Amino acid sequence: MIKVQNLTKDFPKKDGTVFHAVDNISFEAGDAEIVCLLGVNGAGKTTTMRILSTVFQPSSGTAEIQGWDIAKDAQKVRENLGFLSGDTGLYNRLRGREFITYFGRLYGIEDTLIDQRIKDMADLLDMHEFLDKKIEFLSTGMKQKVSIVRSIIHDPPVMIFDEPTAGLDILTARNIVAFIRQCKERGKCVLFSTHIMREAERLADRIVMIHKGLILANGSLDELRAISGQTDLDDIFVYYVNQFTDETEVLAHEF
Amino acid sequence: MNFKKVGVVYRKELLEVLRDKRTLFTTLILPIILYPLLIIGFNSVMSRQNAVLEEQGATVALVDSVNTEVSLMMAKECAQIEHYNLVPYSASTPTLYENKDIQAIVTIRDSLGSDGLAAYKIYIQYDKSKDRSQKVYRKLSDAFKKSEKKLQSNQLQLSGINSEFLDLVSVRERDTSTAQKKMGMLLGMFLPYIMIMMLVAGASTVASDLVAGEKERKTLETLLVSSIGRQEIVFGKYLTIITLAMVNVVINLFSISFSLRFMMANMGADMGSAQLPVKAIFILIMAMIPLATFFAALLLSISTFSRNMKEARTYEQPIMMVAMMMGMVSFLPAVEMNNLMALIPVVNIALLFKAVMINEYTLAQLFITIGSTILLDVAAIWITIKLFTTESILFRADDDGSSLKAVAKDKRNFFNPFFGIVYFTIALVALYYLGGYFQAKDLMSGLLKTQVYVILIPVLGVLGALKLKGKDILRLKMPKLKELVLIPFIAIPAAIIVSIISQLTNLVFPFPPAYLKLLGKLFTMDSNLWKVFLVMAVTPGICEELLFRGFMMRFFEKNGAKMAVIISALLFAAFHLDPFRFLPVFLLGLLLGYLTVRSGSIINSMLSHTINNGLALFLVTYGSTNWLKPLVSGEDSLQYWLIAPAILIFSGAIYLFHKFTNKGEN
Repeated sequence: MIKVQNLTKDFPKKDGTVFHAVDNISFEAGDAEIVCLLGVNGAGKTTTMRILSTVFQPSSGTAEIQGWDIAKDAQKVRENLGFLSGDTGLYNRLRGREFITYFGRLYGIEDTLIDQRIKDMADLLDMHEFLDKKIEFLSTGMKQKVSIVRSIIHDPPVMIFDEPTAGLDILTARNIVAFIRQCKERGKCVLFSTHIMREAERLADRIVMIHKGLILANGSLDELRAISGQTDLDDIFVYYVNQFTDETEVLAHEF
Repeated sequence: MNFKKVGVVYRKELLEVLRDKRTLFTTLILPIILYPLLIIGFNSVMSRQNAVLEEQGATVALVDSVNTEVSLMMAKECAQIEHYNLVPYSASTPTLYENKDIQAIVTIRDSLGSDGLAAYKIYIQYDKSKDRSQKVYRKLSDAFKKSEKKLQSNQLQLSGINSEFLDLVSVRERDTSTAQKKMGMLLGMFLPYIMIMMLVAGASTVASDLVAGEKERKTLETLLVSSIGRQEIVFGKYLTIITLAMVNVVINLFSISFSLRFMMANMGADMGSAQLPVKAIFILIMAMIPLATFFAALLLSISTFSRNMKEARTYEQPIMMVAMMMGMVSFLPAVEMNNLMALIPVVNIALLFKAVMINEYTLAQLFITIGSTILLDVAAIWITIKLFTTESILFRADDDGSSLKAVAKDKRNFFNPFFGIVYFTIALVALYYLGGYFQAKDLMSGLLKTQVYVILIPVLGVLGALKLKGKDILRLKMPKLKELVLIPFIAIPAAIIVSIISQLTNLVFPFPPAYLKLLGKLFTMDSNLWKVFLVMAVTPGICEELLFRGFMMRFFEKNGAKMAVIISALLFAAFHLDPFRFLPVFLLGLLLGYLTVRSGSIINSMLSHTINNGLALFLVTYGSTNWLKPLVSGEDSLQYWLIAPAILIFSGAIYLFHKFTNKGEN
């Protein structure tokens, strides 16, 4: 499971001021649950996920992955975490099998177990045909499948997907969606980010709306519908963003 | 650290490198084929060309204005040269010569010698720029020498003297060096240079790929989210670079020595006993390892710092240039290995190489060389790990202006480290070629032209082209009067401190005499002293300051003013293209950078720079006059005790300067 508490990430700007990419956010995601981080581009989704995967250090606040602190037990966090995003590229000069094996070994898994898991996943995703081809010759969909196996080779209890379907064609995107569902079925805790409302609607048990580094809403689709009085997620999202803008405008007038 | 994981990274990187045809070619295939192709190929082409020239023969026109028995005999001698055709001079000869159908025109004249003896004068007209004609000339003059011998012995016989009197003294050489040592000397000269170049070249192709390449291909994040630690990643990659660099070195070493042996054997040297001894090879390879580790760490940190391969390649260029320059010391005849030289990176390896090749080195030198390199190495690897754990560097934003597009959007984006290095490299090349060209014509006006055309005008040109406010960028602002008053009290003691440091380095690393001669020439130009002062002190004070403190420093300000001062000082020192003065110029650069940044006015550093250069000029000009005697030792060296009052005055003046400028930019 994932626990995020008062997480903040600041980036220095050129003019010397600070930009709050993530501003004091808190949320949780339990086992066998799919939580969606929903927000427009630049809302702070990627930054949050990078902090959770220990690539970034938080400016303040903490987070736990499966009980491990992201700052103190970074290595344990990564061992318990599978991460897939548009920014997790592949080594083109390696073959699919070599690529997955490499990461398996980095996680310290025995070669026999790696081979077994590759075989299982290849059966599941129908990959045998291209598993021993160099990655540079694979199609986007094939590459995505290799990435999927890479992200789950150490069978982590927590999976994080950052905009996993961005830039993919419909068929490949379906593979990902199916894979995310499977993760849940296997009892994993899943956090995924997207700016596509339909994806959030279809997959998420809970939606965490994030805007300008702040969390606007956190709840199941039904809960959000009830609060906002809207049925369509698009409208719900706009409702919350407008509410936020009004508030900040009011604040601006007060000062 | 988990060494098993380091090993996993290492093996995977090697596999990837071996699959990259470009890297494979430059590190493995190129050295294997390059030297044999160059040396052996060149040799065989040469000998074939020679044979062709030989068979071509020549047509020679003859003007025999004497027409005696002797001249006929000489003509006959020429005609006997194989494949040579002798024709009498005719009206068409000049055209034929023009069309290269006739290679030479020989004219035989005679005159009366002192004792009434007939002496012959032979004129051979030929085109010296042509290989073929040169050969014809040699063959013809040999033929005439032969005729002369004949004539001489005839004359002597007539006088009843033994013709052996002509060969009373003959010189024969007896060489005590072995073929081994000869080859050692030859290899010791250029092998270090080639090896260092190859090492850097081999390491840099891999290094830029390993981190900057991963950033470019977006695989770095994939790696970072796996459970491996960043130190382990750094070490795995580091080992890969070292391995490739060393493989490159070993292949080069064998390829070169094989080709050279072949060449020397071809040139007729007895190479039976000449082999690179196993011990020398072993030592050389061992000595290259620390150097490989050093460059691996250095290049890896560059690769880590860079956002993409292109940027990494740009930053690698100056490193390559400096390494090449330092490696070149093996060509200098006066510089030899000693314990202190063994402390300077790169140079020490080059000299050790040379010493090992002729088997004249000590164990202490070996250990100091390796030890000092390893120390640097540890520092460099520490920096790399530091960079690797600094997220602002590992994830530097794509759009921080190092593209022309970003500059078009906001002109101030021009001032980023990338363009800084590019500008500096171009300026350095311009200085080397244009400066050399100007100064070859006339030193005095050449120096002036270099300052104005190479240093000043391009800066103003770039600022003009970008429509930037030169006055603000270059910090052209009048300083406070009290700052200006302080400058002499800073500049003069600083110049003294720096010269004494420079004298001390001279003690340790004596300047080569040729270098001193050149420097002397600079200072003792027979021009009016004021003119020299203008060219050597005032102009550089203005132009170099505008370039380095005004312009260059702006490129590096993003990482803080301190960094900008240090980097601009380093570039300033490198710009002088003079390894012997690197340290003093660097120190001076630090001071000048500080003065500018602290006070926000470049006028301060201009004045300081002018005073510094003027003082050096003054010392050379008046150093030997009586009233300066107590301060000067030798011709133009300062007494060492001067450093004490100099430091005292300098510290005081800097303290005041710092105080006066506390509302400055910094």
